[in-house]
Amino acid sequence: MKKNTTLAIAVGLAGAALAPTASFAQSATVQQIMDRGTMLCSGHNGSYFGFVEVNDKNEWKGLDIDLCRAMTTAILGDPDKAQIVPLSWAQRFPALQSGDVDIIIKATGWTMGRDTELGLQFSLPYFFGGTQFMVHGDLGISDSSGLEGGTVCVEAGTTIERISANYLQTAGVEHTMVSYESAAELRAAYLANRCDAFAGWGPSLAVLRATELDNPDAHVILNDQLSSEPIAAAMRQGDEGFVDMANWTIAALLIAEEEGVTSANVEEMAATPPNPKVARLLGVEPGMGERLGIRDTWAREMIAAVGNFGEIYDRNLGSESPYNLERGLNNLWSHGGVLYAPILD
Amino acid sequence: MAHTQKLSPNRFHAYMASFSKRAFGTPSAAVLSIVIFGALGYWTWLAVDWAIFRAVWSAENVAHCTEEAGACWSVIDARHRLILFGLYPYEEHWRSTFACLSIIATVIISCFPATWTAKRLTSLWVAGFAAYYLLMEGSLLGLAQVTTDGWGGLSLTLFLFASVVLLGMPMGLGLALMRRSEMPVVRSFAVIVIDTIRSLPLLTTLFTAAVVVPILLPSWLEGDKIWRVIIAFSLFFGCYQAEVFRGGFQAIPKGQFEAGKALGIGYWKIMARIILPQVFRHALPSTINMVVVTFKETAIVIIIGFFDVLASAKAAFGTGEWAPHYMEVYVFVGAIYWTFIFSLGQYGEYLKGRMALSTH
Amino acid sequence: MTTTEVLRKKSRQRKITIQVLLVIISIIAIWGAVSSAQVNLAALGITNGFGFLDRSTGWDYSFSLVERSINDPYSKTLVIGFQNTIFVGFISIFFATIFGFIIGTGRDSSHPGVKAAATVFVQTFRNIPLILQGVFLYSVLIHFPGPRQSMSFADSVFLSNRGLMLPGLNVSPSVAVALILAIASVAVLLVWRKVPLLRGLIIWIAAAISMSVIVAFVMRPEGEPLLSIPSLKGLRFNGGITVSIELVAMITAITLYGSAYIAEVVRGGLKQVPRGLIEAGQAVGLTQGQIWHRIKMPMSLRSIIPPLGNQWIFIMKATTIGIAIGFSDMFYIVSNSITQSGQTLELIFLLMAAFLTVNFSISIFTNWLNNRLKLKAH
Repeated sequence: MKKNTTLAIAVGLAGAALAPTASFAQSATVQQIMDRGTMLCSGHNGSYFGFVEVNDKNEWKGLDIDLCRAMTTAILGDPDKAQIVPLSWAQRFPALQSGDVDIIIKATGWTMGRDTELGLQFSLPYFFGGTQFMVHGDLGISDSSGLEGGTVCVEAGTTIERISANYLQTAGVEHTMVSYESAAELRAAYLANRCDAFAGWGPSLAVLRATELDNPDAHVILNDQLSSEPIAAAMRQGDEGFVDMANWTIAALLIAEEEGVTSANVEEMAATPPNPKVARLLGVEPGMGERLGIRDTWAREMIAAVGNFGEIYDRNLGSESPYNLERGLNNLWSHGGVLYAPILD
Repeated sequence: MAHTQKLSPNRFHAYMASFSKRAFGTPSAAVLSIVIFGALGYWTWLAVDWAIFRAVWSAENVAHCTEEAGACWSVIDARHRLILFGLYPYEEHWRSTFACLSIIATVIISCFPATWTAKRLTSLWVAGFAAYYLLMEGSLLGLAQVTTDGWGGLSLTLFLFASVVLLGMPMGLGLALMRRSEMPVVRSFAVIVIDTIRSLPLLTTLFTAAVVVPILLPSWLEGDKIWRVIIAFSLFFGCYQAEVFRGGFQAIPKGQFEAGKALGIGYWKIMARIILPQVFRHALPSTINMVVVTFKETAIVIIIGFFDVLASAKAAFGTGEWAPHYMEVYVFVGAIYWTFIFSLGQYGEYLKGRMALSTH
Repeated sequence: MTTTEVLRKKSRQRKITIQVLLVIISIIAIWGAVSSAQVNLAALGITNGFGFLDRSTGWDYSFSLVERSINDPYSKTLVIGFQNTIFVGFISIFFATIFGFIIGTGRDSSHPGVKAAATVFVQTFRNIPLILQGVFLYSVLIHFPGPRQSMSFADSVFLSNRGLMLPGLNVSPSVAVALILAIASVAVLLVWRKVPLLRGLIIWIAAAISMSVIVAFVMRPEGEPLLSIPSLKGLRFNGGITVSIELVAMITAITLYGSAYIAEVVRGGLKQVPRGLIEAGQAVGLTQGQIWHRIKMPMSLRSIIPPLGNQWIFIMKATTIGIAIGFSDMFYIVSNSITQSGQTLELIFLLMAAFLTVNFSISIFTNWLNNRLKLKAH
């Protein structure tokens, strides 16, 4: 690992000498990750289906895990160097601040409070989803006014907790709120009918309803859209280089999808790039890695390892997953969604 | 040594006679006996019927679980590896198994009086711990490396337990000696530390180590979260154990120390050769109690985000398929804890009784 | 100077050096912690200080004794958390002590059935981690029928997976709190006046009932009955007292665990009563009950009180399991406040200060109790 580091520094220094106007992202966190040889990402204390889950073989998978593996490949060249640290919702920010993880990629919404008071900074949003309520069908209600006098359950320490409390107060719906430390506990409480409503994040409610409940028709997701949250990776303040790294990991995954580069055809594309943008993305033309202080071929290795954004989505949430969620807002802008990448120049 | 004597037929008859007199001697005693033994018997029957006679045992037969009203042990059959080993790599589970066995063996061997010298106990525990660590961590002897983030389930619980006892014991001894010191500053330092830690909930101490300490330390001193928590847990153990040792010290006549001093023997030599062996002997039953309490208290680490046996138990029924069988999983994990804690606790009681006999 | 004087002087010097070193090391450690906290917090862009206490929290939680809202400032929310911890702690201490004395006496009984039942109880609840018992019990309770199918007893007490609904006095919460405090102070007064246990208990129960009836009669709203009975309305019960299921789980789990420990303390105390005294009691024709309350209890209380105080402190600390089952105790509130506000150091400081205050108060109280209950002859 040491060799790589020295190499990266050498490349950086050489670059600086040659092109004094270019600013180099010399990130302390990237440096640490290279020295350590592993990247520490946030997991969950249990499964958060579709995003962070543990399978029967005790391995981590999910959209957020794949993004972590993508970024690990970008920095270290090997997705298996990603190390997933199990964390509860409430623990994720303290764990980030204390350095127990390098980054939080865990269905985390970008809020002003987190951005300022908590001393975090966020990457490009990679997902959009809003808070909604799911209720037991036998209550026979279709919007939140029917929750009058009921119990609403939510996960502790999340934005959902604040959004739903605020929404119900504004709507003047009197209720009791119970919050739990883990998704498993919340799910168990809802299924046991401890709660009338499950306040959650739309996509994960849909996943839960579609697969985890015995009878999906016995549960209704209410029409109220409480919010639309931009979901982004969170990092410690004060390391802009690392934010660049996260941003361009996400951007490269989106650009690859836009340009039709997949894990299957990436080598082929690299051999005969259809256009200069792809050539640059895949490191056939220099510039991609140098400006981040890493290898030029990082995006090619990353796509070969985990695929482009569309592949990651389909594998974990979409058509190839048991959840079969529509892409909706989370499609590329060119396909009616709101995801777009900054310009690769 | 009344405990080891077998009941001879005569004694048995005498016991039975006394038993029936106490249980059925008066009408009210008889009614009470019938009600209590009836209720206990009925509940035992219900439990056995649920857990054994009407239970479904294998994962393949999970479909029967809905018809049968008994326990559905299929969930244990299917998920026991998750409960025991957490997220440890599937192919390497044999390492986890042997690692757990080495800790359990260490505990069992330490129950034999033959090991009760400071040197033997220390080397036994260090060896057991080292065996555990080498097996789990790997990266030596051709074993693939698995870092502590991948440890979980019962093996993580045992790891926390063993490292806390191993690190906490010297801390406890140190604090106890400091508390007995003639130097006022040293003494009050120990008193403050001991009283503060003992007044705080363990969870607060561990939470502080996990979340707050990194803010108070420069980054090069932080270390892994698991080690911070283990050190804080050991400090908790040490503060309670210091009080146990203090009780042991009080049982020793002060004259012994003064006699040693009069003979010109140095402080550390008197301690190591004369005082401490006696202190250990006096403190043994309470120490075993403390060890038992420590094992029980490790369950709290689930709250600060460790994947211990309780957390992995929750994960085991955390899927839609197994969610209805939470009861079986909790009973399984409860039985593991109960067996370990009950047997060690009974052993401590036996030892206490034996020592009470030998000193009188 | 003789050699002994030289040696003594040397040893004194060494002692001073060690103490000075310890002080210096402590100061350096504290200073290092403070300065690196400043560096670390500045790097993270976290503002420190207690200013955040005035900000509103924006989140809700499961239980409070007083009216709460998401607009409450952190200061009020933390006070509520503290109240909840004290509340659960005291109720659990109260029940655990009563059951502990009953079961401990049972363990000491000569009747084999009583002894067996008490032993089974103690060995079951003492040998399983409290948090496991708590989450297990909570899982069982939330699988009880919902409010519409709740189990009812005499149509006035209802148990469902939402909680236990009890008939309550028709008074406002603040009056109820004042009443509880008054009843508690009667107990303290009785102990202070050294009223014998059994008589004191009777006086206390009589006083509690009559005070409650009078207060309810005077303070109830115009034209409403003395008791407010819960009744199902929509998704929940109206009227009466609602004890949320989280609170039921907390109190039950802590009480069972705590009473198993207290039972052992009581048994240990009863064992220390000399056999001769008991036989003497039997000889003068005292009944079992009289022997218990005139000989065994007074004799053993002296050795019971100090470990009992430790058990009370233990129960107070045990309330931190609330976070595992969604009960908003002090630890839960602090932990959630840390996530939502990021003010880690300040909040941990408040948490520790709260527990140190309560637990030191309990030990002062036990010392006082111990002095009060000492036999006059000593």
